[in-house]
Amino acid sequence: MDRDIADFALQYAVSRKVDYAEVRAHRENRESLIMKNGILDAYVSAVDSGFCVRVLADGGIGFASTNKWTKEEAKAIVEIAYKSAKMAKRKDKIVFAEEKSVKADWKVDEKKRIENVSAGTRIETLMEIDKALTAQRINVPARMFTFGTNLTEKYFVNSEGSVISSYVPKMGAYIFITVVENGKPEQAYKQFGYAGGWEAIDEWKITEEMINQAKVLQRVIKEGKAVKLEKMDLICGPEVTGIAAHESCGHPMEADRILGREMSQAGRSFIYQGGPFWLGTKIGSPVVTIVDDPTVKNSYGYYEYDDEGIKARPRFLYKKGVISEFLHNRETAAKLNTRSNGASRAINYDRESIVRMANTFVQPGDMGEEEIFEDVKQGVYMRSFTEWNIDDKRFNQRYVGREAYWIEKGELKHPLARPVIETTTLTFWSAVDAVSKKVKYDSATCGKGDPMQGVPVYTGGPMIRLRGVYVK
Amino acid sequence: MNETHAKTEEIVKRCKALGADEVIAQTTFGSYRQTRFSNNQIDISVAWNNYVTDVALAWKNRIVATQIINFQNVDERIRRLFEIVKVSKENPMFGGFAKGRFPYQKSKADRSVVNIENPAEYVFEAIEAARKEAGPETNAGGILFTKLEDVYLVSSEGPNGEDCRSAIELSIRAFSQKETSGHGVECSSILKGFDAARAGEKAGEIAKLAKNPKAGVEGRYDIIFDPLFTGSLLSMWGSMTSAFAIMVQMSIFVDKLNQKVASDIVTLRDTPASYSIANRVFDDEGMPTKENVLINKGVLKTYLHNTSTAKIFNTETTGNAGIIMPSPWNVEMDAGGMNRDEMFQEVKRGLYLTNTWYTRFQNYATGDFSTIPRDGMFLIEKGEIKQSWKDIRLSDNALKMLSNVVGISKERQHIYWWGIDGDLPSLSPYILIKDVQITRPK
Repeated sequence: MDRDIADFALQYAVSRKVDYAEVRAHRENRESLIMKNGILDAYVSAVDSGFCVRVLADGGIGFASTNKWTKEEAKAIVEIAYKSAKMAKRKDKIVFAEEKSVKADWKVDEKKRIENVSAGTRIETLMEIDKALTAQRINVPARMFTFGTNLTEKYFVNSEGSVISSYVPKMGAYIFITVVENGKPEQAYKQFGYAGGWEAIDEWKITEEMINQAKVLQRVIKEGKAVKLEKMDLICGPEVTGIAAHESCGHPMEADRILGREMSQAGRSFIYQGGPFWLGTKIGSPVVTIVDDPTVKNSYGYYEYDDEGIKARPRFLYKKGVISEFLHNRETAAKLNTRSNGASRAINYDRESIVRMANTFVQPGDMGEEEIFEDVKQGVYMRSFTEWNIDDKRFNQRYVGREAYWIEKGELKHPLARPVIETTTLTFWSAVDAVSKKVKYDSATCGKGDPMQGVPVYTGGPMIRLRGVYVK
Repeated sequence: MNETHAKTEEIVKRCKALGADEVIAQTTFGSYRQTRFSNNQIDISVAWNNYVTDVALAWKNRIVATQIINFQNVDERIRRLFEIVKVSKENPMFGGFAKGRFPYQKSKADRSVVNIENPAEYVFEAIEAARKEAGPETNAGGILFTKLEDVYLVSSEGPNGEDCRSAIELSIRAFSQKETSGHGVECSSILKGFDAARAGEKAGEIAKLAKNPKAGVEGRYDIIFDPLFTGSLLSMWGSMTSAFAIMVQMSIFVDKLNQKVASDIVTLRDTPASYSIANRVFDDEGMPTKENVLINKGVLKTYLHNTSTAKIFNTETTGNAGIIMPSPWNVEMDAGGMNRDEMFQEVKRGLYLTNTWYTRFQNYATGDFSTIPRDGMFLIEKGEIKQSWKDIRLSDNALKMLSNVVGISKERQHIYWWGIDGDLPSLSPYILIKDVQITRPK
């Protein structure tokens, strides 16, 4: 990464008399492995480095990027961005919400430096997981592991005087398995993510997790029973709570969707000006508070400043069951007459930063996990999910249980075969009457943007209890 | 041979001189342009210039790979590759990279796609077409995207060639009311004949029909899928023919070669033909690409292979490398015998679904999945559209649906847009599938 060229690009952009300009440079050192059925398919090691220029001129935005580090190329992409911004000829001019300039240098520490971990150790780590998984008395004929580390340096400068440098090491893994029992297959996947060093391997406990997943699938095939459609109580484990928080709270609270900027891709939101839901409207029960917080230490979605140079902070999206605060970047904040809350993220130098979640989770309540089960006469405990989806206004959603059990008189009984809750955002969050004390997180890659930008996030929450919802 | 091609070749020579058994280097110089719009105005125009060389190296059946940016730090990247490969593990399933010198078809790419003087004109043409159909209050958003890639591939095993790949895509979603919309796309490899207004008209036409929707009703229906929806289904079925998907059981086609997997009227092909936005003359090993018949009259004929997976399955590569994962390029469903109107007449009581997104599986091996229809969704009675619906979900089985295809239209459209899970372009007809399960939230 050549910071002089980034600075040069900014100066050149400013000389074009734009309303605003920024340059964001990235250097990503990536090492990744892919292993299929116990065989290492490939080890990939690459360094990607480039920079982008974003300008605001005549109320239009132009963006251009390159991975060629020369002053001539910098000039060329500034010219493209400038010309593109002028081409927009918007009736209502885009402005950015005001912000103070920032000078900062931040990084995430590694207890065990990723760069010091040899390729051999990385390979052996994956091999050991596969060996342990296949040593169980469970038939796991198909296994796909991907594993990677990404050391990201960023350098951000803008025409308002901000200069921000950062270094974030991240680790991620994705495991997909198929268990076959009596000729019947069941499948599970699990994603792991961490901002920090190689210590993630100890924290993830992948081997135990995947052995447990395999055992769960085997038991579901052998003992799982169907659920008859009826109204009942539903207890969601943290994984299910987390995906619901992400899909039916985080996404609809993204201000760019609310304003229509994602209308033809990820969609709009059930929340819109003049509609039945807006800031201050009830969306859930008073025990439901959902936060998006980039500052959770070592989280997969961790950052201290967003990609527009705004200081990160927790955002209370649904607060005590009420729509409370949208996720903003500077463009959406200006449109809704507020300030950015630091939710602008880009996956690399060649993508514009847009409104994104970081770590979205339900805040803990005051109940013990045993208490939550105690007065459930009959119902379902959905500990984890398999298929899920939601409509593009983020209201009509469905979660299918992967590990789930029948509850009778407060006690767990037999496993269930893929129980389904198909419901609305309002019904789901309004039915919650109890929230446990302990929050757990899961790692995920959130997809949004065109071209697609998969950003690392945490989903999570405590155990929650829903009263009287349809499960089938 | 131009300078870029020569530099690509030099990387291969250096790796060989250092002891690599087999090496492939593929340099792509790409220019990409996108204009994004919403609320009938342009939000941002984006340009990416990308200069990258992908290098894959085999040594004692161990595979490592890297990317070199703009031919910088070549020695450092190669040194790192050899560090890794020495400690890596043997891949007994590695079958070598494609061997031989091959003649390649001449690319028919259109270099003019990235030099459009004023992309905004295409955008506004599409918006106006949508508003003309659905009314002046119509609110539209979408993208115009263009791509031009110069590609140079050199393999130590013989393949050596150049390709140029071009594409232009317009995707527009028009809202006639806050929660009712239609979507249209226009995709091509060349500028000639590209008609932005056609996509806008389609989006506007559906948005107009979709006004004042009623809550849908659960049940089993015969469903006509618009080419846009069919595109998502073809992407789903096509992706599952990759030998990699078979090996990790992310497919309904495991152990089903030469078996009946679809109704007799279904023939699926994969081809990166010159019309397609996925046009290419060679794959990532340098094998010439070709048309492959995936399903012929309902019978599964082949999986898609690179050289290594082909050896595992005791067959020949199909020209679909991916060094690690073979993948389809562009899935076509053969045209059927009826036109769109005749297909509607076939339906006594059923649905017409125009688009979908968010397709997710409970189990890839069994094919149980659901997907969320979006944009216009309509109840059909006696061949006529009777009512606009909303808030439904298609919850069924991918294999069963393939077997229940009972009608395919003569009309086909080249389809690609952001929401296609599996990310595959296609040549898609209207299709009629019987007895499909629709669910809705309670």
